[in-house]
Amino acid sequence: MCIINEDTVLKREKKFYFDVKWLFIIAIVGFLLVFQVFPLIYLVIRAFISEGSFSLSSFERIYSVPLNWTCVTNTLITATLSMIFGVLLAFPLAWLVGRTNLYGKKLFRTLFLMTYMVPPYVGAMAWLRLLNPKVGTLNVFLQNIFGLAEAPFDIYSIGGLVWVLTTFYYPYAFITLSRAMENMDPSLEEASRISGASPIKTLLTVTLPLMLPSIAASALLVFVAAASCYGIPSIIGAPGKIYTITTRIVDYVYIGSDEGLTDATVLAVFLMVMALLILFISNFVIGKKDYITVSGKSVRPAVVDLGRWRIPITILVGLFALVVVIIPFATVFATSVTMNMGKSVFEPGNFTLKYWETIISRSSILRSAQNSVVSAVWAASLGMIVCIIMAYLLKRTNVRGRKIPDFLITVGSGTPSVVIALALIMTMSGRFGINIYNTMAIMVIAYMIKYMLMGMRTVVSALSRVSPSLEEAAQISGAGWLRRLRDVVLPLIVPSIVAGWFLIFMPCFYELTMSNLLYSNNIKTLGVELYNYQTYHSQQTASALASGILILVAVVNFALSKLTKGKFSI
Amino acid sequence: MKKKILACLAAAAMTFGIAGCGQSSGTSGETGGNTNTNTDVSGKIVIYTSMYEDIIDDMETALEKEFPNLDIEFFQGGSGTIQSKIAAEKDSGKLGCDVLMVAEPSYSLELKEAGILHPYNYSETDKLVFDYDPEGYWYPVRVCNMVLAYNPEKYSKSEVPNSFKDFAENTSMKDSLSMSNPLTSGTAYSSVVGLLDKYGEDYFKALGTQNVAIESGSVALTKLETGECKEIMVLEESVLKKREEESSKLEVIYPEDGCIAIPSTIMIVDNKYSANANTAAAEAVEEFFLSPEGQKLIVKGWMYAVRSDVEEYPYDAIPLSQLLENTIPVDWEKSYKQREEIRTKFQEYVTVP
Repeated sequence: MCIINEDTVLKREKKFYFDVKWLFIIAIVGFLLVFQVFPLIYLVIRAFISEGSFSLSSFERIYSVPLNWTCVTNTLITATLSMIFGVLLAFPLAWLVGRTNLYGKKLFRTLFLMTYMVPPYVGAMAWLRLLNPKVGTLNVFLQNIFGLAEAPFDIYSIGGLVWVLTTFYYPYAFITLSRAMENMDPSLEEASRISGASPIKTLLTVTLPLMLPSIAASALLVFVAAASCYGIPSIIGAPGKIYTITTRIVDYVYIGSDEGLTDATVLAVFLMVMALLILFISNFVIGKKDYITVSGKSVRPAVVDLGRWRIPITILVGLFALVVVIIPFATVFATSVTMNMGKSVFEPGNFTLKYWETIISRSSILRSAQNSVVSAVWAASLGMIVCIIMAYLLKRTNVRGRKIPDFLITVGSGTPSVVIALALIMTMSGRFGINIYNTMAIMVIAYMIKYMLMGMRTVVSALSRVSPSLEEAAQISGAGWLRRLRDVVLPLIVPSIVAGWFLIFMPCFYELTMSNLLYSNNIKTLGVELYNYQTYHSQQTASALASGILILVAVVNFALSKLTKGKFSI
Repeated sequence: MKKKILACLAAAAMTFGIAGCGQSSGTSGETGGNTNTNTDVSGKIVIYTSMYEDIIDDMETALEKEFPNLDIEFFQGGSGTIQSKIAAEKDSGKLGCDVLMVAEPSYSLELKEAGILHPYNYSETDKLVFDYDPEGYWYPVRVCNMVLAYNPEKYSKSEVPNSFKDFAENTSMKDSLSMSNPLTSGTAYSSVVGLLDKYGEDYFKALGTQNVAIESGSVALTKLETGECKEIMVLEESVLKKREEESSKLEVIYPEDGCIAIPSTIMIVDNKYSANANTAAAEAVEEFFLSPEGQKLIVKGWMYAVRSDVEEYPYDAIPLSQLLENTIPVDWEKSYKQREEIRTKFQEYVTVP
């Protein structure tokens, strides 16, 4: 009896004092507390306190302006619709690309993910050119074909805004849903098929319900991305007099006064509350029922045969890719080599490479590109370290408290970018002992808070496909936790780590909303540069820059996929 | 202590240097390489400016020649961006710059009142044709000219409004007009202040009825090229730049009821707030920009000079004297004091659906 007692005490002590995992959790939680939780709480407090005492006066002021209410409604409508359409698009696409014998699956996958790699405001510019009601290229084309008297589409409308938001944010859902589908235990589906259900019936009665938590998670991502997007509404909404909360916040910030800043925080608080509400619903009401059954061994879901639908569906998906991906990209590219935008690029003398020359010769652009690369590499690398540790803790241990950093990372990505940026500026510029404003650190931190989740999801899903038995073998052979992580787990999930790294790297690389508020002399980034050229200097230069980024991404993707022998593609 | 003495000495040395420069600049016109006087100016300064990136590239080269030992860094952004940046920086007690070349006099008035600026006595104020601060806190350094522009490849000049008044009242132009946002652009704000003074609130109402799109100049110019807009209210420099660099056919209309010539200012940040506490260098650079040499750089950047003795005028434009014959004045005091009110009014009538 006595001996056993001693033993348990020892064990408990060991767990309490010597678990290395705790150190990592504390480090991660500490980081998030200082740079995420504290600034956000400060922001909320600041919104309530005016001139030193608690008051709701700024709330009253803000919400008594009718325009602000219109902004709130517009944001809710556009974000909700984008979320619904985004998921409606992403689910079948993810299923078709991931689980069926669709032709050209790899190509489609790359195409859909490409959208994720392009700054959304560049896409907005392309759509503006294609679908403006007066001379939009696509509008004119359709008018000529069908002999219409009026343009069929007007981009300067709620519908137009929803269209562009959807086409640029459904990849978030596509990525999340693809991962979930790869992870699903196929035996349930097989059972359904064996019992005589058709592939479609299986999809609807087995796959879909199983995917519900992931669908909720992806819906959240799309909603928050759409609600907190600044570039698209500022380019498409403003000319049509459709304003959203983000454009209003930036307006208030631009007023430049103290009151303006307070008003901006008040609106930001609303956006934050909205995002948290959605997060709560998706994660803790729907997401709680985690149906995903993962078998111990690595899973290779069966490929569904589309049968006689194979060709028609491929054509349909191809058309979708043509409209949503290829046409806008081609428009951006054509813009970058057109001198006079009023004429076709093919008209004599209208083709020029001068804008391409500008982007590779102008020193400020090169400096910004360098800044973007450096800050995005930092954000992605530090972010991935956090993600790997978190994924391991989540999937391989029962350490208490491991859900806390997970929760905080989810909240971070659910928080609108503007809010993060404002909160960081106010708290990290020396008032509370930390002064990293005007340094690259503040950007890297903002990027990490906002984009770490995408990387974490990828690593978590990869890890759940690695059988723990391998690690157990290592453990039996005497390898410690860190050693097992380094020698067994990491090598197995390297392709996913690279993919996750890129999922963090890319949005940071061209990030606009936060960078626009955080940048300074020495840390101007490509996103800021691109947006400035787009709105201030020259559309063509901006398009050249965007095309350059796209080509770079495509080349890197291709190279990586070759190097890893097809194991890796974004 | 030692540092302070050194700084004083350096400052004294530089003041002499500048004095020398002031005398020589009149005689040694194009010998920009006359660096004897300015080699004393050293260290580093940062300039916040809303001038075009392209212009800055050229300016950097010229400034390097003029101040071989001074490290000059430009930070470019729209006036809205820079103003919000300065607001945030002011909060933390230190700005990221030493010299400002941004926005219009009303913003200078605000900064002067906030105690951020450093006064400097410029000796040739008699040559300046625009308002300047008698105490030396700010001087005009370049003139941005708000005009109308159209695309002769799509419409003829007689089809489109030839005055600001007609721009707002000619109903055949409905849904085909565009202008910049007074909330984010200093020049756009100044322009609406001038127009408000001249035509009253009805002008805003008319703009609202016209359904004028409020967007940035670059977007508007592209829309003008594609024919989506028939006419836009825009800074002349952006059209001239396109004409010279891209042989664009877009054309400027000098409105019959007057151009709105908006002097943009240059200011030195007080040592207490400045990034590098290099007042001597900041003064030397201000002196240079105000000199005929510096003004020629401005003119090359498609903006008008502020001096009566600079004959040059921007590519494809009109001489400064001719421009000044017919302008709509802007009351800077009013535009500073009533900023919120005017912006709100503009939003109410024009921006809000």
